Amino acid sequence: MRHTIRFTGVGGQGVLLAGEIMAAAKIALGGYGLKTATYTSQVRGGPTVVDITLDDDEIRYPYANEGEIDFMLSVADVSYRQFKSGVKPGGTIVVDPNLVHPTDEDRKKWNVVEIPIITIAKEEVGNVITQSVIALSITNAFMSVLEPKVLQDVMLSKVPKKVHEANNKAWDLGIKYATAAMKK
Amino acid sequence: MAREVVSTGNELAAKAAIEAGARFFGGYPITPSSEVMHEASDLLPEVGGVAIQMEDEIGGISAALGASMSGVKSFTATSGPGISLKAEQIGLGFIAEIPLVIVNVMRGGPSTGLPTRVSQADIGQAQYPTHGDYASITLCAGSLTECYTQTVRAFNLAEKYMTPVFILLDETIGHMHGKAMLPDLAEVEASIVNRATFTGSPADYKPYKAEMNKPAVLNPMFKGYRFHVTGLHHGDEGFPTEDAFQCEYNIERLVGKINTVAAQNDGLDNEPDYEEFMLDDAEVCLIAYGSIGLGAYEAVQKLRAQGIKAGMFRPILLWPSPAKKIAEIGARFKDKIFVTELNMGQYAKEIERIIKRDDFTTLFKANGRPIAPAEMVAKVKEMM
Repeated sequence: MRHTIRFTGVGGQGVLLAGEIMAAAKIALGGYGLKTATYTSQVRGGPTVVDITLDDDEIRYPYANEGEIDFMLSVADVSYRQFKSGVKPGGTIVVDPNLVHPTDEDRKKWNVVEIPIITIAKEEVGNVITQSVIALSITNAFMSVLEPKVLQDVMLSKVPKKVHEANNKAWDLGIKYATAAMKK
Repeated sequence: MAREVVSTGNELAAKAAIEAGARFFGGYPITPSSEVMHEASDLLPEVGGVAIQMEDEIGGISAALGASMSGVKSFTATSGPGISLKAEQIGLGFIAEIPLVIVNVMRGGPSTGLPTRVSQADIGQAQYPTHGDYASITLCAGSLTECYTQTVRAFNLAEKYMTPVFILLDETIGHMHGKAMLPDLAEVEASIVNRATFTGSPADYKPYKAEMNKPAVLNPMFKGYRFHVTGLHHGDEGFPTEDAFQCEYNIERLVGKINTVAAQNDGLDNEPDYEEFMLDDAEVCLIAYGSIGLGAYEAVQKLRAQGIKAGMFRPILLWPSPAKKIAEIGARFKDKIFVTELNMGQYAKEIERIIKRDDFTTLFKANGRPIAPAEMVAKVKEMM
C-alpha cells in the first residue's frame, strides 16, 4: 500500500529533515521510502515542499502525484496555497493556525486540522527548532503508517545527543495534540 | 553481497568515485551538485585522498586535471553553469587525453537559469562541451543505484579511453533520498580499470605515438618518463606541431578512439548501455532517461493497467548513443514512439538522426518541473 505525505513550509524550518526521517524509518522497517524536496533559490524564506512516498514495494517516481496525497502538513501560508491542490479530496491537512489561513472552501474539501505547532515548540518545548519533530509525530499519529518507536529512534539518530531530551518532549507533545485534535 | 544504503544521488556519486579509486577532487560548490563535494571532502581524507575547494570552477577542474596527470584518479562536480566555465579546460582534457570524471547535476539554464530546479538541458552540452572536434563519453544515471554504478563506470571508461567522461545526474536524482542497493565492494574493486603505462626505457617513451583509434599512453608525471603537455596540436612526444598530416591524424584518432570503437564493438565496454522495461510485447515505446525515466516506469504500468501495451527504452550511455538499438526500435515501433525529456528535444534530435524520421510523438518540458506519469499517460493515449 502506498502512502503519500507532503510537508510544506519555508526554507530553514526543518521540513527537509522531517521528510528524510520518515523515509528512513520506512526503509528501516524493510519497506521503501523516498523523499524529494522542491525549493526555491532563496536561502531562507522561499516556499519549500517535501514529498514523502512510503510503500512496501519499490517506488520509482519520487514526487507525489497531483490529487493523490493522503496527508499534508503546512507551517507557511505561501507554500500552503501553492501546494494544497495535491491533496486528495477528503485528505487531512494539518496547519499552524497562526501562520496558515485556509479558506472556507478548503475546509469543505479537506479535513483541515489546526495545531499551533510553532507556539508549542517555542513555549512548551522552549526550542523553535523542534517544530519539525512535532510535525513528524503529528503526521505519524494521523497516518499510523510507521511503528512510532522506530520513527522516534530514527529521529533521535539524526539530531545531536544534547538535544535528545527536547526532541523527545517535542515528539510526545506532537502525539498529545494530534490525539486531542482527532477527538474533536 | 549487495549493500543496502539510504542516501542521495549526489552522495552516492561521491562514494562511488572513491570506491572506484579516485583520490582527488577539485571543484567549486554550485547548486544542485554541492553535496558531491561535501561528501568527497568527508570521505577522501579517510582514504588518504585530497578534496580541495578551489577559487572558482576553472581552478577546480584545473587542479583535478593536474592531479590526474600525476597518475591519481580525479574528479570534479558541478552543474551546467560550471561546465560552461570549465569548457576551456575540458578541451585540454580532450586533446591532451587526460582521464577525468566530470559529474554534472543538471539544473535549469541557460546561464544561472533555475538553480534549484530539475532539467535535462545539458545533454547537448555534454556531447559538445567545448570548441573543436572530439568525441564525448556521457553516462546518465536513472536511479539512486545508477548514481553509484555509472560513476564507477565513468572512471573505468576515462582510464580506458584516456579522456574526460561525463556522468549526468539531475536535481531530482541528485537530491532524492531513499534506498539504494549497491554492488558488493569486492565486485566493484574487481571491475576497476587502470590506465595503461609504458614500461620501456624512458628514452623510448612517446606518449602520443598511438595507433589510429587507440588512446595515448600517459605515464604519471614525476616518475622519470618526461613528456610535454599542451593544448596545441602535438606530435608523438607532446611538442607542438602544425604538420598537416599529424593534425588530421590527431583529430581522426580523438574522434575514432570513441565513436568508431563504439560503432565497431556496439558500445565502449561490457556494461548495459540502456534498459528495456516491458518492451518485449509492447505496442508503444516510451523513450526517457535520467529522472524522467522514473516517471516513465509508472506511466508504462498505468498504461498497461488501462489495456495499452506500453514499454520503455531508457538509454544510459547517452554519447555515443546506442544507435544500433535505437534503429531497431525505430523500425519496430514505427510512429508509436514517444520521446519525453526535460528540454526542448535534445535527445529527440538524436532519435530523429538515427531513425531518419520525425513522425514520433514528443513531450518536452523546460520550466524546471518534473514530468508526471499522468502527463505521459495522457499524451500516449492520444497516440493510440
